Amino acid sequence: MDYLERLIKEKLAREAQAKTRRHFIKECATGLGGLALSSIFMGCDPLGRPKKKTELAFSERDLNPLATLSPPHNPKVKSVIYLHMAGSPSQLEMFDYKPTLQKLNNQDCPASLLEGKKFAFIKGVPKLLGPQAEFEQVGESGNWVSDFLPHFKKVVDEVSFLKAVHTDQFNHGPAQLFMHTGSPRLGRPSIGAWSTYGLGSENQNLPGFVVLTSGGNTPDAGKSVWGSGFLPSVYQGVQCRSQGDPVLYIEDPDGISRDLKKSTIEAINKINKEEYLKYADPEILARINQYEMAYRMQIAVPEVMNINNEPENIRQMYGVDPGKESFANNCLLARKLVEEGVRFVQLFDWGWDSHGTDHTTAVDLGLRNKCREIDRPIAALILDLKQRGLLDETLIVWGGEFGRTPMQENRGNKEMGFKGRDHHGDAFTMWMAGGGLKKGASHGKTDDIGFSGIEGQVSVHDVHATIMHLLGFDHEQFTFEFQGRHYRLTDVEGEVIKEILA
Amino acid sequence: MDIIKQLLGRLHPLIVHLPVGFIVMGLLFQWYDHKKQQYRQPITIIYLWATVSAVLACITGYLQYTSEGYAFDSIKMHLWTGIITTLISFFMYLRLQEKNKLDGIRRIPIRVFGIAMLILISLTGHLGGSITHGEDYLVEPLPNSVKSALGLEIFEEKIIALNDENWESALFYEDVINPILNNKCISCHNRKKEKGELVLNTKEGILKGGENGEIIVDNNSGESTLFTRLILPRDDEDHMPPKEKTQLTKEEVTLIKTWVDHGTPFEASIGGLKLPKELFEDYFPKKADFNVPDKTVEVAAIDSVNLVKKAGLHVEKISKESNYLRVSCVNKPDFSDKDFALLQPIYKQIAILDLGGTLITDHIFGLLGTLPHITVLKLDNTTLTGSEIEKLTKLEYLRSLNLTSTKFDEANLNKLEAIPNLEKVFLYNTNVRINSVQNNSHSDIHIDLGNYELPVIASDSIIY
Repeated sequence: MDYLERLIKEKLAREAQAKTRRHFIKECATGLGGLALSSIFMGCDPLGRPKKKTELAFSERDLNPLATLSPPHNPKVKSVIYLHMAGSPSQLEMFDYKPTLQKLNNQDCPASLLEGKKFAFIKGVPKLLGPQAEFEQVGESGNWVSDFLPHFKKVVDEVSFLKAVHTDQFNHGPAQLFMHTGSPRLGRPSIGAWSTYGLGSENQNLPGFVVLTSGGNTPDAGKSVWGSGFLPSVYQGVQCRSQGDPVLYIEDPDGISRDLKKSTIEAINKINKEEYLKYADPEILARINQYEMAYRMQIAVPEVMNINNEPENIRQMYGVDPGKESFANNCLLARKLVEEGVRFVQLFDWGWDSHGTDHTTAVDLGLRNKCREIDRPIAALILDLKQRGLLDETLIVWGGEFGRTPMQENRGNKEMGFKGRDHHGDAFTMWMAGGGLKKGASHGKTDDIGFSGIEGQVSVHDVHATIMHLLGFDHEQFTFEFQGRHYRLTDVEGEVIKEILA
Repeated sequence: MDIIKQLLGRLHPLIVHLPVGFIVMGLLFQWYDHKKQQYRQPITIIYLWATVSAVLACITGYLQYTSEGYAFDSIKMHLWTGIITTLISFFMYLRLQEKNKLDGIRRIPIRVFGIAMLILISLTGHLGGSITHGEDYLVEPLPNSVKSALGLEIFEEKIIALNDENWESALFYEDVINPILNNKCISCHNRKKEKGELVLNTKEGILKGGENGEIIVDNNSGESTLFTRLILPRDDEDHMPPKEKTQLTKEEVTLIKTWVDHGTPFEASIGGLKLPKELFEDYFPKKADFNVPDKTVEVAAIDSVNLVKKAGLHVEKISKESNYLRVSCVNKPDFSDKDFALLQPIYKQIAILDLGGTLITDHIFGLLGTLPHITVLKLDNTTLTGSEIEKLTKLEYLRSLNLTSTKFDEANLNKLEAIPNLEKVFLYNTNVRINSVQNNSHSDIHIDLGNYELPVIASDSIIY
């Protein structure tokens, strides 16, 4: 050991001797530059002073990142169920009735409409395609609904339509990211993450943000659509499965009893507590809390995710398919989760990309099947929430990532065997239902063929601003500081859509 | 040619700085040199430069006045002072010349020229600045109190306040349109600034229009720039108000449109014009929130709140702007009547209470009757029968009562009517039958029995 130390000392002495003034100056150049650079990265403060924490700083939050917080303004709802039809359903076969388009069926699309527009697949001059569904004005509100959604007609008076939503994205991935995070690029937190970050979650045994998927696939944009972006990862959506274990690896492994598990966690937490006493880092307390919550979730999640204990009439109303992955099951689960105090439930149903390349994506065939899969469950969800007094405190949002063209798709500039429609972001329909909304309202109008909004156009940011408003936030004030600036869900845009508020 | 004129004219704000600089330099040099008199010659040259550049400034200034459409009245002081400054500068140059042959000028002391120059350069500069930046540019940042002490005009926001009683008798222009224009437009379009030669705070000004002609055409909002400028895209150069200023709200834009379409009435009342109430509802007093009592309460003691939290209940303020609390037993299903004591210290603040799925009994109604500010009460999934529900009759804020999945007895149904402001009762999955509700239907309470059905229809099983 002595020998080694002597060697090291000798080496250092040699190095010191070898160091010339030239070396020193050379190192200054990079060294000082590096110092300057690091201070720039520290948030553009050359002195690197600690920044004033303007965001949520609560001691309870240090212990439990999902501890509840009050919103700045009186909220209208406390939970959100967001139903996303991944692939984007055709508004022209469901809600946006265009008799003129029927008359113009099979005529060439006027060139003026195509000028400067980008389409995913349409080439050359496509032909207009009339609505493939029969429409009817229903309910006291007299809003139009097609025969693709016979059960939905029963709840139409609970719903507020946005008929002229627009997005600036025309491909699924970016458009889905935009719809759920407010930006078409990766890295921003989803609406559910913002909501749980801002409000926490009431039920200590369940995650605050649950995601359920159906339709045989997950959204094109991947899990980022329910990601936490730059927010702490604890706020991201927890994907639960309706088939098998609701959360992967939630069951104890074979041979591990619940008691053993409990003592394991207790031992780990004891060590963590000692670590905390040494370093006083609140992150450690948060971790202790997470272990305990995971342990509680092992019981609570399978219980809430079990639809078999629901009465038969309820299961029939939703049209559930126990043991399978289905949108109906997910709707029933959404009600159960909201009933248990889960803040944000997001349902993705895949298979709405009606291009008309085959039977399943034809607007007159496959789309009809997709509509049948969601029609009963959605009507049931609204009625079930209503009869339990939960619709007053829940917000349901329905929509795709964009809409579809009034023109028939002509992939490769050829006539296609099935009737389909291309992606279209200029005008499409979304709807909301629940607390704080004007029931039966319809806001916005599209032109005679449903190509562009002509009245009451709202953007994706406006939709976000409205959701935030109903949860009790001012979307312009609700920010998170990241990389030296304050970010918000609506970036620098968005206006609350007052027209649909009660 | 016009383009060149306009271009040169726009160089005026740049070129004026040359004579200003030279004159200030000349004055400073003269002050420095007033004893030794060593630098007379360079000072003379400085004033020559000052004069030449001042002439240039005058020419470009005149071009700007003619090609940019300024009213002569608004620039005349600046024009004359500018020309006088140029002349004085020239006389100073002559006076300083050694071989000066003009006796008249020689008799005037240099100091007089110097002082005149200083006054003139300040005055001309200020007047020029007022033209480009506006009269009140300098004093604008001062607080209102200082402004009024200085006797300056202060901008006052006019508040539009309508209510259910007065909205029809309110005057459309005086009480609504004028305040909107006042709050969002007249900081530029007032008599002093007259941006675009437009004045929007008087009837005459509105009817006269601006530099592009009338702003109200044929009482048609689609052709009247008073309205069309408002709905241009915000990035459009012609959009009003300019994008960095406070924008009109959607409601205000609609009101302007309505006013134009109705022939810009200056005297008529809202009721007289038969305008729909919805247009004005934004200015009505805000309706009280359904789940928050419309009176204030002091903040709950933090220790009491923490005690409730510690017991496993969820307690949170409804929002940061309210002291009322939302309390829920979602994490404490074993809550029973005796645990109610926990809530006693915060009895005043509880507005929303969720005791759903707990072990409470009918005895709880007596205790709940002591929570004066309850708005939403959830007692679902319990064994309550409602036998003591009459004890809730003193709860004047109770609006929603959830008794789904309980043993609620329909004999107690009529007791609900005594709760003064109750609006909704949820009785799904109880023993209450539809006809007993119908028998009680003379009250305003909406009773939701649920049991909604979606009968099977043929299309349910068709696969396309």
